Amino acid sequence: MPHEIVVFDAQVPVLLPIFLVSLLLLWGLDGLLGRFGLYRHVWHPPLVRLALFACVFCSLGLLVMR
Amino acid sequence: MGAVVQGWFDTAFGTHSAEARAWLRGAALDWLFVAKATFAVLLTGWLAMALDLEQPGTAMMTVAIVIHPQSGMVIAKSFYRALGTLIGCAAAFAIVGTFPQQRVPFLLCMALWLGLCAGGASLQRNFRSYGFVLAGYTAAIVALPVVNHPQNVFNSAVMRVSEVMLGIFVAAIVSDAIFPQRLGDVLRESVRGQFADFIVFVRDSLRGALPRPELEKAHLRFVRAVVQIEAQRSSVVFEDVGVRLRSPRLRRFNHAFMAASTSYQSLHHLLNRLQADEQSPVRERLMALAGSLADALGPAGSEPRTAAQAPALSLRLAASAEHLPARAQVLRDGLQARSDRLDFDTGAELIQRIATELHEYSDAYARLALRNSAVSVAEAESNFAHANDWAGAAVVVARTTLTMLVMGTFWLASAWTDGAGAMLIATIFSGLMATLADPLRAIGYMLVGYFVGIVCGIVCLYGVLIHMDGFVLFSAALVPFLLPGFYLSARPAWPGVGAGYLLALLYTVAAKNTMGYDALHSINDSLSQLLGVVCAGAAFMLFAGASDSPWLLGRLLRKLRLQVVHACAWPLRGLLPRFESASRDVAAQIVAHTRPGSAPSREGLAWSLAVQETGRALIELRSALSRAEVPMPLRERIGAAMAALAALYAEPGREKYWQARELFSVSIDEAVAYPALMSPLHLIRLALLDADSVLGAYLRPSAQEHDHAA
Repeated sequence: MPHEIVVFDAQVPVLLPIFLVSLLLLWGLDGLLGRFGLYRHVWHPPLVRLALFACVFCSLGLLVMR
Repeated sequence: MGAVVQGWFDTAFGTHSAEARAWLRGAALDWLFVAKATFAVLLTGWLAMALDLEQPGTAMMTVAIVIHPQSGMVIAKSFYRALGTLIGCAAAFAIVGTFPQQRVPFLLCMALWLGLCAGGASLQRNFRSYGFVLAGYTAAIVALPVVNHPQNVFNSAVMRVSEVMLGIFVAAIVSDAIFPQRLGDVLRESVRGQFADFIVFVRDSLRGALPRPELEKAHLRFVRAVVQIEAQRSSVVFEDVGVRLRSPRLRRFNHAFMAASTSYQSLHHLLNRLQADEQSPVRERLMALAGSLADALGPAGSEPRTAAQAPALSLRLAASAEHLPARAQVLRDGLQARSDRLDFDTGAELIQRIATELHEYSDAYARLALRNSAVSVAEAESNFAHANDWAGAAVVVARTTLTMLVMGTFWLASAWTDGAGAMLIATIFSGLMATLADPLRAIGYMLVGYFVGIVCGIVCLYGVLIHMDGFVLFSAALVPFLLPGFYLSARPAWPGVGAGYLLALLYTVAAKNTMGYDALHSINDSLSQLLGVVCAGAAFMLFAGASDSPWLLGRLLRKLRLQVVHACAWPLRGLLPRFESASRDVAAQIVAHTRPGSAPSREGLAWSLAVQETGRALIELRSALSRAEVPMPLRERIGAAMAALAALYAEPGREKYWQARELFSVSIDEAVAYPALMSPLHLIRLALLDADSVLGAYLRPSAQEHDHAA
């Protein structure tokens, strides 16, 4: 996979769309976790959310960029 | 976490008095915020320099603007700021692409875009308005520096977006992940406070009289509580997924509160009117009926502290609502005269309505604490309606556009090198301040902060930073200058001073990988910035907002009265929540734009009470009409009366007042056979007859000459 893709004649790093997709995924995951009440068993929900985002973004990035 | 820090302070200072503890806790939270904000600014600066961005200073300024003690606020603000920045960039491309070499159409287009964005911002209540302003001035900060080299607009846009986004992300993560102070806790406290306050208020005042000034005060408090909870809700949804899922319930809770408080005020208006006449038997009986409702609200001196107590209260209220009709029947039997019975029936129906609505209110509160997040139909339908005055928005558009055009013309005509900067600052502030209640005062504070910030920035840059090398020393030099700014913005005593100071400081320092030390440029730039702020102030004097313009305030007042017209005319479905929220939204705007206790403020409150009572009774009347089998002639008669009332509220006047009053008297005489219609009709007529209400002005001076008409 190339490191940059062309969007409307501009070179954009592939990580940028991946970042946006991970944000969307996180939003969905966040809603699911909230719906099933998992955040109640967690000491620091924002930290969990941040860690979750790091996991999602890194795994997607590694998956695509390899 | 904020809670951890609070807990630590509770144990550490447990032996001291509660007052000292509260002060220490407040101070500790303030300094926690200062530390977090300073850390976020420096972290952003370091990242921006490491990533080789063009102006790390812009990213640092972004953090200083976005950061706030409560993390929900930061995330909401960041979200809208990100959206606004992206839209602004797109607009910059479009404008530069359309007029690459023509400066006059370019400036015109840019000014119009900024004006429209500022106008859109003034129509919003939460941080969405901030997103609108951002969409405007991002276009300007992207396009203006490259106005002579349009081919660079893309790089300029990419750089600005990267800097702003970096600042936003760092601010959001630092404020949410490190010792967050949750806005959700503040919201929970507001909701609990509103519930306890209202239940206690109703219980304590149900048995006694509540004079009009007290009612006005209570009304003001309730309007504020409603608007505040709605505003906090719209920010907390970004912070807390639990609140996001329960958001419809929270709206439902707020609507139940609005409905109950309107009915409750109507009851007191009725009791006050009965007290004025020789109708004490009716009044006494109604008080006895109200007393049995008050018993259901719990013993005096207790207060519902947690949502866990709400279900029990809800059950007691349901039981009380069931017993009320029988008790009302017993009390009614002692009354002989027809008019007494009518008064009593109207009051008894109000009390029963209050019982039902209080039950719904405590039920909504109990449902807030439930763990599942299914949304009922009533919850899904309760949207909060806002009411806006388009003339106010038009003034904002004109002010912002003209500010930019005048400054731009001056810049082009004088070929002043820093003219673009002055123009930009003036435009930014005329957009940003337009959403505030008292923009002139805010600009005054901002100007003070700006001036001090520039002086400190120059001292910092040429006194300290010039001797420093490397990021660690740079941070060490900057921290002492940042701390007071963040401390000031954590304390609401001088709003805007801290923000102005930080903006000016970071702008003057203009952190970069290779710092520039050009004293002449710094001073010229600073002067143009100050001039920009002053020009924004002048624009606010020329194009006054509702706080300083009786014309705009009058229009807001009219907007408030028009809610009654809407209550007559709009389709019934969903009308009640819409009316209750929109009328309180306008009332809150009027209160925000007037000084507390001043004549316009009191007039607004008086109208708000009248609108609330009459509008609600009209909606009850209309739904009774839609349910009952009523012959056509009576339906038309009542329709004509409602139209006359709507005309009275649209343009108050003595003639219209007497016409509406007469038509309602006739309708009541004809509607005797339809008890469902009688109490709303009677309530509306009593509201018209009330000499203490705002309509009383049309009643008093020339009452004699119209006596025959009545």
